Amino acid sequence: MKINPTFSSMIREIRENSLKDREHSRRIVHWVEDHRLRSGAGKALVFILPTRGCSWALSKSGGCSICGYIYDNPQQPDFDIMLESFQKILEDTIESEWEYSLKLFTSGSFLDKKELPLEIQKKILKESSKYDQIKEIVLESRPEYVTDAVLQNIAENTEISKIEIAIGLESANDDILQNSINKGFFWDDFVKAAEKTREKGAKIKAYLLFKPPFLSEYDSIQDILESVSKIVELGVDTVSINAISIHRGTFLSQLFEKQMYRTPWLWSLLHLCREIKEQYPDLRLICDIVAGGSERGAHNCGTCDKDIIAILKEFTVTQDSDILDEEIKCSCKTEWKGFLFSEKISNSEMLNKY
Amino acid sequence: MRFFQPLSQYGLARILAETRTRTHLSPGIIDIEKSSNSDDYAAFFDISLPPSYSNTDKILNLHWNIPEEKKERALATSFLYSLQPFYSSSIDDELSKADYNTYVENFLSLQDIHKQIYFLPIDFIESESFDSVLKTDMSLIALIGLDKIFNNQRKLSEVLVNLKEKISPDIAIYLPGPIAPSNYSFLIYMGIDFFDNSLSYYTSENGYFILGDRLYPLDKYPKCYCQYCSQDPKDIQGHNELMMKNEIAKVKYALEEGTLRELVEQDIHKSVTFAASLKHLDKKYSKVFRNRTPIISSTKIKCIGEESLHNPVISEYRERIRTRYKPSLKDKIILLLPCSAKKPYSFSRSHMLFRGAIKKAGKQVFHTLSEIIVTSPLSVVPRELESIYPARFYDIPVAGVWSDEEIELTSRLLLDVLSHYPKDIKIVNHMHGHGYQHIVDIVRKETSFEIIDTSSENPPTNPNSLNNLTDTLYNLIENQTIEKDKILSSKIRRLQFTADFQYGQGTGSILFSKDIKVKGKYPRHLQIFRGGEQIASLSSETGYLSILPKIAQEILDKTLNKLEFGVDQVLGSNIYAPGCINADTTILPNDEIFIVHENKVIATAKALVSGIDMNKMTSGSLAEVRKKLKVRK
Repeated sequence: MKINPTFSSMIREIRENSLKDREHSRRIVHWVEDHRLRSGAGKALVFILPTRGCSWALSKSGGCSICGYIYDNPQQPDFDIMLESFQKILEDTIESEWEYSLKLFTSGSFLDKKELPLEIQKKILKESSKYDQIKEIVLESRPEYVTDAVLQNIAENTEISKIEIAIGLESANDDILQNSINKGFFWDDFVKAAEKTREKGAKIKAYLLFKPPFLSEYDSIQDILESVSKIVELGVDTVSINAISIHRGTFLSQLFEKQMYRTPWLWSLLHLCREIKEQYPDLRLICDIVAGGSERGAHNCGTCDKDIIAILKEFTVTQDSDILDEEIKCSCKTEWKGFLFSEKISNSEMLNKY
Repeated sequence: MRFFQPLSQYGLARILAETRTRTHLSPGIIDIEKSSNSDDYAAFFDISLPPSYSNTDKILNLHWNIPEEKKERALATSFLYSLQPFYSSSIDDELSKADYNTYVENFLSLQDIHKQIYFLPIDFIESESFDSVLKTDMSLIALIGLDKIFNNQRKLSEVLVNLKEKISPDIAIYLPGPIAPSNYSFLIYMGIDFFDNSLSYYTSENGYFILGDRLYPLDKYPKCYCQYCSQDPKDIQGHNELMMKNEIAKVKYALEEGTLRELVEQDIHKSVTFAASLKHLDKKYSKVFRNRTPIISSTKIKCIGEESLHNPVISEYRERIRTRYKPSLKDKIILLLPCSAKKPYSFSRSHMLFRGAIKKAGKQVFHTLSEIIVTSPLSVVPRELESIYPARFYDIPVAGVWSDEEIELTSRLLLDVLSHYPKDIKIVNHMHGHGYQHIVDIVRKETSFEIIDTSSENPPTNPNSLNNLTDTLYNLIENQTIEKDKILSSKIRRLQFTADFQYGQGTGSILFSKDIKVKGKYPRHLQIFRGGEQIASLSSETGYLSILPKIAQEILDKTLNKLEFGVDQVLGSNIYAPGCINADTTILPNDEIFIVHENKVIATAKALVSGIDMNKMTSGSLAEVRKKLKVRK
């Protein structure tokens, strides 16, 4: 399969206009949060490494319709400063009584040599291996960078069973990847990367996107359910459902501003978690909500948002499905159903009442 | 074969029924998910909201509420929403056009297209791909994107009229999404058939309480005593559904009764959006509605607002007076009279007084007199036509003040009627008041007729005025000789003009001459005999005629009510679309029409739809047979 050229050129136009305004922050961003490790509850130490950003986003394709992370990346990375602060933060942050999942994000692909030369990848992994508390290392990457050479480099510099490669698959449906996201890779590419990774003894995690542009919420729920089934069949044990948040300077943001897109309802996420956990009790299911409760993130009516977000967070950390069964009553639940229908039947063209 | 067939038309609105079982389905509401209430709706979607692993079907099923005992005979009982385009039509042209064409290609390759819901964004109404779908038996359109132009009255009416003109009347239009029920009457009048109940789901803090013609916010609304509001806690969704169902029932009733236009005239005053729309429609698309609105009816028309002046029935009436009313050239005097509240006018006190005054001038005056009643909004009612619909059935608030538009319309039609008379005919004006005065002034200005005022000083029923009338008429006929053998009784005149109005100009004098006999008196139906055989009857309910097929044969080259039929014999009690080769476009629903095969009238029938739409339909019943030609074997 190939990309949709018309769609891609629309995205590229928006991208080129927005890239002009990008800032040049070279600061390494990090934070610690509660996290569910495979071994149990612990902490996640998350790094956003200031690389030059995602090569796909910078390419002639215009990148993904929904992603504006590129605007936060500096144009010229300084790897010396990056490594220096990385070392220091590890030293200052890691506490002996906790187990950690180290998340190395670049807003692009950690394994892309154009973003992080092999040498730098190596140094970061070596440094991380010094800490026994770090039980898991999560690297984000597009599947095309998951090559034998790169995996070999990882295996040489750290214990590879600790490694989890997180791939933003978004959907297992090629049509959606092509015509809604402009993802630039397809299901088969993901399968290949997953198989390679497993051969080398590392783990795979898939991100799924709820809900991409042009998909009604109804269709997107169906897509997530189907995608999860396909991913589970492949033997992947961790899926993260990422509820969309609208990044400025993106194709999606323009759609949203023209009132042709509504960010997903929290009810849908709650329903998805219940449904998937019931079907696949052993799957590690993560529900990630950015900008929850706001217009640009997943939200309900405003009254029940906090409660549902809290439940989904707690569930993600504990994986305890009983939490999801707690009954939440809110007058907007019927409205959500009415919306699901109207948006579906009208192909997202009827978001207003009249 | 399409799934729907129209059972009656009123403008662009109609009652649609399932083709085989004739179960009324439209206008109606669709339940968006299967519920305990689903039976109250025209149809329901058999889906669960939200979708789950136990329900991964990509196709939505729509089930029609056809009674259990009829299901077996129905052409289909459920529809499928199998496909939709990927991109929204509001997105970039290049992207959406190609995508929509792909959608249409896929749609055309589906099985049983008559059971598939077709997705039509308003931007694609004029597209070639839509034209190709119209060649199939696609029966149901989901019309998308109307909300974008909902506040643009001109665009809204244009889009809907264009769409309705393009499609056959047996295709139903479903307008999905949350729509306020106060808009139903207008939208149905514009030809929308189905809505759904999604609005009733909007019960969050930002939701609605539907009551009367308003949507109230949920933190403040009037008290309601329905069962749903009486329970604790209140069931707002249940209440809202009830309101929607009540509203659609009201519109459906008006449609069956033939009073939809009046309901619309009342309802549009509650909405800023539609008040202007109706005016625009009446101005620009009057013909589209006129050509599909029955003129044979017996329901009262209340003409309250100025919109009534352009009620399609009334416009059609005026048009027929203009084109089909050709007065008797033997008449020597025209008498202009004011209208009366009581109908027919002859039964009113004022008109009894007028007739008394005329009689005093000599009984023979009637034989040479054209009585013309001047009125609004009908403009001109010849005495002979005072009992037909709508002349006998309209009511207006009498204030005696005429608007400029009323004066303009009325005088124009009056001038048209007067133009048929010889230049030397005398006009007696027995009307009084500013509006009438104004109209007569216009006639004086535009013509050279001699006009004698008999009621200018006093009201027309004042004894002085009545005496003036008697004296004037007496003087006018004093020197005239009346050729007795050429005199037609008022009954025959009435029948002739009614036939002209109903079947086409020139038919009356062929059908009814001096050799006929009329039995019966109002309020009974009239029976018309010729040579001992009843050839026609005149309904006292509608004021219109019904004639035998063999009599209809006599007016075949003059009538405008023909349906050319493909077979030489009518079987059964309906005329179906495949049998229709061509229908006169002047045919209106409810009209008595003549089924013609090779220049022979083989039956009379009552039209269900207009002639225009008969020619568009490819299946379903067009008319109900009344009388078949008796064939001797």
